[in-house]
Amino acid sequence: MGQYYIGVDIGSLTTKVVMVDGDGKLAARATGRSGYSGKDVAERITARLLEEKGLGQKDVAATVATGYGRVTYPADREVSEITCQARGIASQFGSAGTVIDIGGQDSKVIKILKGGKVVDFAMNDKCAAGTGRFLEVMAGALEVRLEDIGDLALQARGHCQISSFCTVFAESEVISHVSSGASKADILAGVCDSVAVRVASMTSRTGLDPEVVFTGGVARNKGVAAALEKALGCPLTIPEEPEITAALGAALFARDINKGQG
Amino acid sequence: MTEKKRYKPLASSKYMEKTMTRYYALSQYHRFWGKPLRRPLAWVTSGAPVELLRAFKIHPVYPEQYGAICSTKKATEKLCQVAESAGYSQDLCSYARSHIGSILRPDLAPMGGLPRPDLLLCCNNICGTVLKWYEVVARLLNVPLLMLDTPYLPGEYEKHTKEYVLEQIHDMINFLEKFTGRRFDPKTLERHAGYSNEAVNLWKEIRELCRTTPSPLNGPDLFIQMAPIVVLRGTSPVVDYYRRLKQEVAQRVKEGTAAVDGENIRLVWDNIAIWSNLFSFTKMFTERKACFITDTYTGGWSMVLDPGDPIESLASAYTKVFLNRSPDFRARQLTELVRDYSADGFVMHSNRSCKPYSLVQEVIRRKVMKETGVPGLMVEADMADPRAYAEEPIRNRVQAFLETLGGI
Repeated sequence: MGQYYIGVDIGSLTTKVVMVDGDGKLAARATGRSGYSGKDVAERITARLLEEKGLGQKDVAATVATGYGRVTYPADREVSEITCQARGIASQFGSAGTVIDIGGQDSKVIKILKGGKVVDFAMNDKCAAGTGRFLEVMAGALEVRLEDIGDLALQARGHCQISSFCTVFAESEVISHVSSGASKADILAGVCDSVAVRVASMTSRTGLDPEVVFTGGVARNKGVAAALEKALGCPLTIPEEPEITAALGAALFARDINKGQG
Repeated sequence: MTEKKRYKPLASSKYMEKTMTRYYALSQYHRFWGKPLRRPLAWVTSGAPVELLRAFKIHPVYPEQYGAICSTKKATEKLCQVAESAGYSQDLCSYARSHIGSILRPDLAPMGGLPRPDLLLCCNNICGTVLKWYEVVARLLNVPLLMLDTPYLPGEYEKHTKEYVLEQIHDMINFLEKFTGRRFDPKTLERHAGYSNEAVNLWKEIRELCRTTPSPLNGPDLFIQMAPIVVLRGTSPVVDYYRRLKQEVAQRVKEGTAAVDGENIRLVWDNIAIWSNLFSFTKMFTERKACFITDTYTGGWSMVLDPGDPIESLASAYTKVFLNRSPDFRARQLTELVRDYSADGFVMHSNRSCKPYSLVQEVIRRKVMKETGVPGLMVEADMADPRAYAEEPIRNRVQAFLETLGGI
């Protein structure tokens, strides 16, 4: 019987794999672009992680899959990323509070109790505005690397206004700001504001606790984090590796499974 | 691999199908019997005082129910596109769009469209859209339109509201006497109101049987079984049908038969069904042993007509329908359902088509969560238009919601 547990989070843009040991401690993690088949990517990453650790499949006691590709992956169980995210955050921070998660095509606000039980949640609906994909499109329009958006936005002198609710129309707004001579920094600051405002309005549905944790790939973006702090009027806690918390939660759920009975 | 069927059909459904087939066949052949029997056909909204029409021997047909039929027959998308290319906005109610589409292109419509009306009767107690929708139809078909304006009730049913509605009903009676050439007979109206009440009471009792754990019925049962009480309200066959159904449901309760095997999550539904995906949507719940034990929508047909002057009780019952009332009233109603039916949570369908039903849901959701302590989930879709239904995002929410209720 193995003693490691794996959580696989196949998101719309990125696939995350986390391995924990018998005590629930983080043993290894890796991420990759989901691409056409998130399942294949997840399997490749898992194999690589095991190899690096000098482990084999027999050392893995259970696997839980989450994220959009969760049903495609041959796991012992699939759990929604909302539940996994709450579990992952609770394991790292312990206290009750609000989680804001901005991923590739989803943004969510999750209200959790101590221990990670979900009380309420809100998500963006049928629209990618306010998500990682939105930022990607804007980065493309401005010929900026995705990871540079945050630093550039923080150098802004004035913030351009991006008013549209639609990613495609917002892109044309960005282009018109470019042609009217606005700096990339000012436009990007506006882009970050627009993401923050959209997500902040979701917190009015769930209510906002003073403890707010910001996760998902977009949490690495300092521009969005700053804009979000401003929009919410409170500081954010950002995990060291904000994109892997749902996969971590999945791995911890895997640890709960008694494979013999599952 | 065979998956165990989780949907338990009702034996009564066979009789319901018969009743409904007979009703639609009669309606479709109205052109042969309507004139000789001096019985006009009217298109009416679901919340219109149909007993009045029945008292004048007018045969009612319901475009809203037809909208649901179009959706289950997968015709809505095409019919909506017809209406949209005729200039009607995609933001307009999908029942209205598919109905207008069915008038413009009967060849694309189930049953070749609804039989042509001689009269339209519209009551705005359910929404404001019906006013414009029926005006459009009146123009397209050049038929008279009767409108009953029931003022929105922010609080209670006041005297001035009552007088205002009563006056309109009396005007309607005058018009209908001239239109049909029949004299108004209060006794006939009373008889039809009596049938309505009998059916309403039975429906109410059937619904209340679902307070039992496990529930004998699931959401789709309620949605499907309500069909006769919508179109045959005020007639005797509908009373017979619900008597039969009640017997079967009571039997299920007696034997402890569950609509959802191993029921372990009890939910209340709010808003119109998602007709286009009724079963695939419900399956997300039944596969996790969650049952919709009651709902606010089909409860709309369990409002009893008060005893006394039948015209006054019509005015009162039709003005007081829940969609014509304040968010406070609706929150109270949902809170009571959660308590009376021992529900573990509730699910709200934010229905793109139905603005009065959906617009205030977020306020109600928070209020009910606070008062009952159970969680409420909001899903975005449309009652009829499948283009507004995105299965994966919905599955994601539903799964997360059920995980909070039943564990993983």
